[in-house]
Amino acid sequence: MATPEDANASLKTEVSEIASVHPNQSPKSGVSSAKPPQESTRSLWLRRTVILSFWAVAVLLGLPVWWKTTAIYRSDLPLQAMSDWAEGKIGKPVFPLRIAVEAPILPQDTHSLIQTTQHVLDDLNEFSAHQLRLMPVDPPLTANASQHVVVDGTRNSGDDKDTTLLIRLIPVETGETPRSYLQPYSPTLHVYYSPSHISSVSSTASPLAAFIARELHDIFAEEQAQLAYLLSTTSGEHIAKVHSLPQETAAELQRRSTRVLKYAPTYHLTFSLFTPTSTPSAWDIEAALRQYMAPLLESFSAISNFTIDTQVQLYATLSPSFPPPEYDENAKAWTLRNEDLSGFINAAEWPLSPSIADGPTVNFALYVPEQSQSPLLVKDSGASSWLVPQWGGVAILNPPSTEQDAAPLSALSKEALAPAMQTFSNQLISLLGLPQTPASLPLRLSTLTRVRAASLVFSASSTLGALAQVYQKLPSIPVPDTVAKSVDLALQHLQQACDELREGRFQGALEHARIADGEAEKAFFERSMVGQVYFPDEHKVAVYLPLLGPIAVPLLMAALKEIKNEVAAFKARRAAS
Amino acid sequence: MPKYDKALVFGAAAAVRLFLFTAFPSLPNLLAGRVEVSTPVTSFKRLQEGLFLYTHNVSPYDGGVYHQAPLLLPLFSLLPNPSYYPLATNILFVLVDLLSASALAQIADSGQAAVTRLFKSSRKELRWTSTAVAAGFLFNPFTFITCLSRSTSALNNLFILTAMAKACQGASITSLFALSFASYLSMHPIILFPPLLVLLYDVRTSKSKSPANPAVFAAIHTTILTGMIGALLGVSVLLTGSWDFVASTYGVRLLLPDLTPNVGLWWYFFIEMFDSFREFFLGVFWLHVASYMPGLTIRLRKQPLFVATTLTGIFAIFIPYPSIADAGLYLSLIPLFSHLFPLMRYTFLALSNTMYASFLGPAFYHLWIYAGSGNANFFYAITLVWNLGLSIIVGDSLYAALRDELEVERPELRDKEVTRI
Amino acid sequence: MKFSSALLPLLAAPLAAAEHTSNWAVLVGTSRFWFNYRHLANVLSLYRTVKRLGIPDSQIIMMLPDDMACNPRNSFPGTVYNNADRALDLYGDNIEVDYRGYEVTVENFIRLMTDRVPENMPRSKRLMTDERSNILVYMTGHGGNEFLKFQDAEEISAYDLADAFSQMWEKKRYHELLFMIDTCQANTMYSKFYSPNIIATGSSEIDQSSYSHHADSDVGVAVIDRYTYYNLEFLENKVRDPTSELTLGELFDSYDEDLIHSRPGFRYDLFNGGADAARSRRIVDFFGNVQNVEVDDGAKRNETQWREELEAIEKMIEEAKRRHNESLNVRPQALNVMEEVQHSERQHTIQKEGAVRMDEELSWKKQVIGGAALLGCAGIWAASSWLESL
Repeated sequence: MATPEDANASLKTEVSEIASVHPNQSPKSGVSSAKPPQESTRSLWLRRTVILSFWAVAVLLGLPVWWKTTAIYRSDLPLQAMSDWAEGKIGKPVFPLRIAVEAPILPQDTHSLIQTTQHVLDDLNEFSAHQLRLMPVDPPLTANASQHVVVDGTRNSGDDKDTTLLIRLIPVETGETPRSYLQPYSPTLHVYYSPSHISSVSSTASPLAAFIARELHDIFAEEQAQLAYLLSTTSGEHIAKVHSLPQETAAELQRRSTRVLKYAPTYHLTFSLFTPTSTPSAWDIEAALRQYMAPLLESFSAISNFTIDTQVQLYATLSPSFPPPEYDENAKAWTLRNEDLSGFINAAEWPLSPSIADGPTVNFALYVPEQSQSPLLVKDSGASSWLVPQWGGVAILNPPSTEQDAAPLSALSKEALAPAMQTFSNQLISLLGLPQTPASLPLRLSTLTRVRAASLVFSASSTLGALAQVYQKLPSIPVPDTVAKSVDLALQHLQQACDELREGRFQGALEHARIADGEAEKAFFERSMVGQVYFPDEHKVAVYLPLLGPIAVPLLMAALKEIKNEVAAFKARRAAS
Repeated sequence: MPKYDKALVFGAAAAVRLFLFTAFPSLPNLLAGRVEVSTPVTSFKRLQEGLFLYTHNVSPYDGGVYHQAPLLLPLFSLLPNPSYYPLATNILFVLVDLLSASALAQIADSGQAAVTRLFKSSRKELRWTSTAVAAGFLFNPFTFITCLSRSTSALNNLFILTAMAKACQGASITSLFALSFASYLSMHPIILFPPLLVLLYDVRTSKSKSPANPAVFAAIHTTILTGMIGALLGVSVLLTGSWDFVASTYGVRLLLPDLTPNVGLWWYFFIEMFDSFREFFLGVFWLHVASYMPGLTIRLRKQPLFVATTLTGIFAIFIPYPSIADAGLYLSLIPLFSHLFPLMRYTFLALSNTMYASFLGPAFYHLWIYAGSGNANFFYAITLVWNLGLSIIVGDSLYAALRDELEVERPELRDKEVTRI
Repeated sequence: MKFSSALLPLLAAPLAAAEHTSNWAVLVGTSRFWFNYRHLANVLSLYRTVKRLGIPDSQIIMMLPDDMACNPRNSFPGTVYNNADRALDLYGDNIEVDYRGYEVTVENFIRLMTDRVPENMPRSKRLMTDERSNILVYMTGHGGNEFLKFQDAEEISAYDLADAFSQMWEKKRYHELLFMIDTCQANTMYSKFYSPNIIATGSSEIDQSSYSHHADSDVGVAVIDRYTYYNLEFLENKVRDPTSELTLGELFDSYDEDLIHSRPGFRYDLFNGGADAARSRRIVDFFGNVQNVEVDDGAKRNETQWREELEAIEKMIEEAKRRHNESLNVRPQALNVMEEVQHSERQHTIQKEGAVRMDEELSWKKQVIGGAALLGCAGIWAASSWLESL
């Protein structure tokens, strides 16, 4: 714009003597032009004030605007705490399991029995984070109500929810003693002993105490192995325990971690019926699920919820690149090869894994082969089902062998579905990570609770650590306040989860760990944290220059000129004085 | 006779406007839809929408269509519905034009354009008469079209001209009142406050015996202005029930959410601006508009009316939603300084530029939007030419004013060619 | 912005022995306009290949910035070919494009990779990978020295891509990643990666252009690029089914610089085990969907025992419920953990306002207000004029 320059300019003139007659002729060479008159100080300062006013607007108003509008807002995160959690320096989880001992003997004897057993247990235990703590418990109803034994200042009732296992000592006369029986559907271990053993209970070499200790160790061995494996993948402290595991156990744990689904509060189960022909076209799946699957799913309700969808696909042919099954004379069946099984599911044409809501989908596919290709089995092993790790399971339902031209089955009844349901239940159990031992289902469920709580704590910690890394390594990502809030919530719940673990309240620990993991994920995947990652600094020049350059040039040139003049005048004045 | 000249001019202008309003009843709506004439913040159609919502007890700012001041709504609700009974609204806008012209005539009559307290132009005899100036405003095609389209820029212009007229007469309170109204309607007239303050000071000092203390004078007037604007905002809060209207009125001008094309420079830039720099450049553009005021006021302290006029020219070029109404205001104020016309160097260029852009602008807009054979660059290029023309006038008149001052200082330079060293 | 290399072994160690359990493919086309037909044909060809080898649509993210099949300049509407013999229609009946048209932007690509998406983003447009997923990332278009142009309007630089991959590694979103890029000066694009377990290959070195293979005179434009053509030739002819044992090394060795007219490059240094381990990975580990299934034990199945177990489980649940109800009566211990989270969430949603009900036109009331406002203004004006006249 010419305006500022005109405003700045104070016009000095060259007097041309000939101008009044011929304004356009240049002066003759011989005529000397007079020097322009000296500029008055007033006009000089006027000019300088005007330049200064433009600069004042640019600096006093422009710079703050620039600073405020281009600063990337990064809220403060507790980076140190996050990194400490990720490296396992805070919150080392411990798993104290409470085991109640109920014995129809004198309290002092119970007390000494417990002490002895505890000593033997502690000697056997190589994994310090996982501890079994025995405590006595009054037998229900039949005990001497007047005798209230206070041991360790606590008195527990038999129905305490935090008790992992209840050992009931039952005196018997006959049979081999001591022996034990683990109830399959309740967390109780019956130990049968003969009363003669009690007399020697105080001695450290009591066979009963040793027997109980060994039993307990065996029951919780797998849990210890799992927890050790889990801890070893996060911090190096428990590597020793892992290395002491036998080779098969370690390999089995590795395989299991490949297979088991990641923990989610809700799983979607999808049951699909595929058939290459038009029959069977219906199945009584709802009744089958209600009768065969629902109890199992309900028993898991403390850990995760399940939603179920079902579908039927007719004319669901196998993928064209799938090698067709071969007829095997010996087995009198059509066989599929082991290595082909991963391509059995025709992912391109069979609609699976619907995109509904959060939470992983577990697919269970039931395939009913056509009459001409049944029975259909896997070669060598003769199995008709297999598990796909982290995905679900496939079962082949061979229709019952009928005469050659009998009509094919048009609908599958509940009873016909029973074997498939059994297969799917087993597959689901292994996909969810339920351990194989001990034999008691509630114990296995509580093991799963503990293992899941631990894995969630580690997952949340590592997410926080990853967030801290990203925050430090990429300084141009904006970090809004919601991230800081989520991180605080996550840390708070992590701490609470570890506290609850330490006190043995595993259900509460799972809850807190779940929330912590959710908040940590929310913080890391905050959507506005991608804003300026792809704006290199060189491009910023290209944005600023075209608009600010033309404004800056007259300001700079005018200022420089004034400064130059002032310096020259200053020098002249100094020379003159 | 000079006495009846003004009446004749005013009467003729009113008659032509009323005739066009009644003879072509669809013309106002057509013009209200043209982007060069009405902008998202001054459009009459949006005012109608706001009125409808207001009379039906819904917040007029719901829906993001209405972006004008809340106080306009009760005032316009006094008139019958313009869709069915447009006569009253038309008469109102004709009155607005006549009042603006009368204010302009008052400015011309006061003679402040050529003779101020500290400055007396050597060419003051060359001034046009106030009737001529008023005629220049009333028959200016831009003003005409603005009146016909019933854009609220006409109200804006009325208040600015009234503020300037009262300032030329030394009437502080009414001048500040008009200025506060203008600032309340559209934000940018607040930038006119310093030059009008200087003008008031000059006029009052020349009228009264004792010169007032400038600092006290400025403080008092600033307080009065702030109080008046505060009162207007307070009434608006009462009307709409909350402070939300600020985001929909002033927020739109500050943050430019609506990028409808207009004759200005802003919309094109901000369509292609990266989001991360948007706020920064909004700040830069606004600072740019505001930055001319201190420089001009300091340099041309002796001719405050000229500063105010030039600032209206700056507004016509650099505000976020300009229209031909703002350009029309500036072009109507320029004849006040007709004594500077001989000193201007590029009048032919500016005039032909403006005419060129005025005709090609709508044509290229049609090519872009309706015919589909052009693109936004066509239209934007013409608006750039339009703004170039206005800038030439601004720069040239500034040169002329400075030259005028110089010639008072050094009379021997009259009629000589000057070059800058 | 470099990862501290000291931390690399710590993170890489525990995952070394694990194998992948899912396969994902991200196929990105970046150019629009008719004359870039071949880039979209490249993407669609790769899409067909990975689908053929078993990756389901739900695990393929395809980004097509323009629609060649329905382009008005396409003489064969509804089809896209990658060969002049027009034997195979890539578009077909059964393709799923996840990001189309103007959705293919740098920001959306980076959001896809880092999973920083809004809550309502559908699952089909998200990369739901975990630490056991192998990902194939294929990009094609116009590129240059350390940048790739998106839709002729913006660019992604090699640094941004490297940062996106590093964020993926931080959050354990991939197990191994194969990065293929077919553009001019493609090898510069992967030169800035610094996260582990990435194998990268590009079609041309710096200052080299990548060329198209041939054009179809009826379609009117080039239909496939050279590098992709020779990749596809190998994949279609040699890797015929998902059980193929051919390795990446064999694929890479099949590239002939004379035929491709540019020098393809490879990057193995980030991979765990270096060039040997990278080259010995099977092609179907990235292009196919191979999962090691576990066959169930065919023999054991005792149905009656199972039914008894089910009944026992039911009884156990009954028992647990009874105990739970008792304990609730004894000491009402509310699990207030979930409640506090819900409570804070509830507070956020309170501010939602519903629609406003429109009333009848209360014109007289508004006019009274209007009249009052007008009189007020006029009064003030009159008062000030009178004041000034004094």
